[in-house]
Amino acid sequence: MTIFSPAWRKYPSIVLASARMRLINISRYPGQLVVDIVIPIVFAAMPILLGRATAGPSAGEVFKQNTGTDNYVAYMLIGSSAFTIVSYAFWHIANWLRWEQETGTLEALYLTPTHRIWVAAGTAVYSCLRGVLSSVVAYLLGSAILGVNPFQGDILIAFLFILVGLVPLYSMTLLFGAVILKVKEANSLINVMQWGVSFLMGVFFPIAFFPPVFRAAALLFPPTWMTNGVRASLLGVGYFFGEWYFDFAVLWVFLLVAPFFGYWLFSRVELNLRRNEGVGQF
Amino acid sequence: MGSAARNYLNAFWAMARKELIVMARYPVNFVASFGQVFLIVAIFTLGGSTFFPRESATGTQVDAGFSSAAAGVAVYGFILFLFLSDTLWAIGYNVRNEQLQGTLEQLYLSPASKFASLVARVTNTLLWTGLVSIAGAALMAFMIGRLPFENPGLGLYLLVMSLSGTFGIGFAFAALTLRIKGTAETMANLLQFAFLVVCANFFPFSALPAVLRAVSRVIPLAYAVDAFRSTLMGYPPGFPELASIEVEIVVVTVFGLLMPLLGYWLYRLAEDQARHSGGLSTY
Repeated sequence: MTIFSPAWRKYPSIVLASARMRLINISRYPGQLVVDIVIPIVFAAMPILLGRATAGPSAGEVFKQNTGTDNYVAYMLIGSSAFTIVSYAFWHIANWLRWEQETGTLEALYLTPTHRIWVAAGTAVYSCLRGVLSSVVAYLLGSAILGVNPFQGDILIAFLFILVGLVPLYSMTLLFGAVILKVKEANSLINVMQWGVSFLMGVFFPIAFFPPVFRAAALLFPPTWMTNGVRASLLGVGYFFGEWYFDFAVLWVFLLVAPFFGYWLFSRVELNLRRNEGVGQF
Repeated sequence: MGSAARNYLNAFWAMARKELIVMARYPVNFVASFGQVFLIVAIFTLGGSTFFPRESATGTQVDAGFSSAAAGVAVYGFILFLFLSDTLWAIGYNVRNEQLQGTLEQLYLSPASKFASLVARVTNTLLWTGLVSIAGAALMAFMIGRLPFENPGLGLYLLVMSLSGTFGIGFAFAALTLRIKGTAETMANLLQFAFLVVCANFFPFSALPAVLRAVSRVIPLAYAVDAFRSTLMGYPPGFPELASIEVEIVVVTVFGLLMPLLGYWLYRLAEDQARHSGGLSTY
């Protein structure tokens, strides 16, 4: 069976079953869901409080000179919410693979007639739902607590940037999943990866702060375009190419290229591991 | 030295060595934890620098205006946060790992000292987090140009007392872990972030709303953070923020001396209950 089998109708049900199973599982840990919402708010509060305390009444003015908006609260909250979406994508996909490997079910999963890409897609759907919902609630709640209006700018365009950005993001997690299968130290790699990603996408600062080499690397990275797209549409900090549709087009290029590249690389690593008895080993 | 003390030291050394060997066998983890701290420092430095005028909007000089006081507040607070975070995970969550691996009950059936077992985990934290902290502070100093470093003697004393108190918190968390089992991971996350806010590790206490500042005033660790960074910054105007330095030194000293005893007492209490109820190996 291939993923392009004509019996395509069963694939959505596999995806939904996989996502539902994970949603049922997380619903049993309500404390974790609270942490999901609290973390981005606390995370954004760090630079906000440091800035308020040290820059004093001119904090907004100086911030505007550096970033293009004086609404530093919303700027930081958007950054930490995007961070949540991105880091959850890496955690959920990589941890899923590693968990299946550790519990000894990965090999079995490979031997079932269901192609694993649909099970992975279900995990990605669950991860998207959890990440996006947590981020939106954290953004709204954080805005209420820190006293800013969350409903400003062009909300629809901001959502479009998030939705389109999710596809290349989850394609990148396949690349990372391949690394996890190979190296097998999921936790430490995910920890570094989530901070590396946050750094590159400019979680609390514009990427114009980077030296040229880092800036170029950041621009090759889909979450950078997603985060800046959301900030530009809500806060008017400016798109990289001046207009939203140009930046959006770049994100679409990532959307079209990244899934194939991610799947191709993942398949290669996976095939290599299967041939060398590596799928069931950990 | 009596034979009991020698036995204790031998057990402690064997356990500390075992922890170090385990750590050395995971070089990816080793390098990753180092890289992670560098990235966190860089992110917060760049985030903080958005509030300071820059020499050039496109220049490579990261934060020309990032004041040394702001840097001192964030760097020294970050160092204590690293120790707290590592202690919660290294002591508290490690007990949970032993439980999951099925080795906790065996450990308690051996004649080896339980206290040595807990303290051995701390040794790794001291060594590794110490190195990471120094490297992180050096990186931040490199990025911002200058980090204030005054009163190193008193600073060291406050650090030792703060760490001693922090390890006590770790013991108490290990006790909690034995009781709450699977929820320990979520609880460690929550505690970590709660301390991050009320102990104001990355910002001055003056930035906190009055209600949260009132909470900070009843948490000894908040005094440890305030005293430690104020001392190393040379008491700039407005620092320390929670009380006079004399009062803070007394609070930190009492915290450093009593918290490990209290934490260990709580741990033994939880352990006794777990043994009597047969809960040591269940999860």
